[in-house]
Amino acid sequence: MPTRRHVLRAGGGLAAGFFLPAGLIRAYAADDVVEIHMQGRPDGSAVWFDPIGLLVRPGQTIRWINSDPGNSHTATAYHPRNNDRPLRIPETAQPWNSDYLLPNEHFDVTLTVEGVYDYFCIPHEQAGMVGRLVVGTPSGPGARSFEGAGRSTGGQNWLPVPEAARKAFPDVQEILARKIVRRA
Amino acid sequence: MRISSLISGTFGLAALALAATPGFAQSVEKAPPKGDYKKVSELVKLPDFLPGIGTLYVDPKTLPAGPFLAYDRDGKLSSTIYMIPTKDLAAQKKFEDLPAPGGRVNHVDLYFNAGHPGVEEPHYHIVLWHVSKADEAKVAKK
Repeated sequence: MPTRRHVLRAGGGLAAGFFLPAGLIRAYAADDVVEIHMQGRPDGSAVWFDPIGLLVRPGQTIRWINSDPGNSHTATAYHPRNNDRPLRIPETAQPWNSDYLLPNEHFDVTLTVEGVYDYFCIPHEQAGMVGRLVVGTPSGPGARSFEGAGRSTGGQNWLPVPEAARKAFPDVQEILARKIVRRA
Repeated sequence: MRISSLISGTFGLAALALAATPGFAQSVEKAPPKGDYKKVSELVKLPDFLPGIGTLYVDPKTLPAGPFLAYDRDGKLSSTIYMIPTKDLAAQKKFEDLPAPGGRVNHVDLYFNAGHPGVEEPHYHIVLWHVSKADEAKVAKK
């Protein structure tokens, strides 16, 4: 499987991309590495992250794998450094952007700061391809509503989250209750 | 969205394609097409061969509508594709004189696409197939 190597600090934790056959790692939140697959219908009429919501422990590594043979995807944190998107990860965490992943490529991030992390796929945000991670205890901007986001923190120029994306996010309480939330 | 507008527009595109001259078709029937066409996978980060579509070429000046020319694994033209944003359809935007260099059309498909690098907004694929339904297998996933 083609792979890419990424090193990134997110929330003070070290995240290093490294090769492991995707099929050998189970997508259970109890594992040290948890997988999120980028999926799409063969005709491209629908695209999504699977699972779309995940509860993980601080220090766990998240691995996004492009499992869609006919499209490219990104995993990109909602953060002003990512093209003026609103801040929807903990204030002290570092944002990430996988850049475009071709089929079977993957990207890893290790999250150590507790809170809610919202992320999106750059070419598919308008189509509602977003996901939500809860690391430990939910808190931070991602745990708040979308209405009025940024007004109190100088983020007036942040781009709004498209309606299709807002509707797609799983509820934080549902993630806490089920640990793994898949697309309806 | 007004589907009737979409469908009437599609028939117009198909008619335009049927009227294309054979001489024009010869310049695009094998990959790479002549003219200002560029391979899409070299313009944006997309797989070189897209299952169900093939290898795409487009003149960047014509984005997002195209035409995109799609080739099978043997480099033979299989379809011409127009990518029309749904917001343009909803706004009843008019598209006129879209080139149809591929020549004879066997059949037409229309389907929604959520987006991809190059045309990142939700849009419709309007596919003028230059091959039979059976020969669509030549661009299918292996």
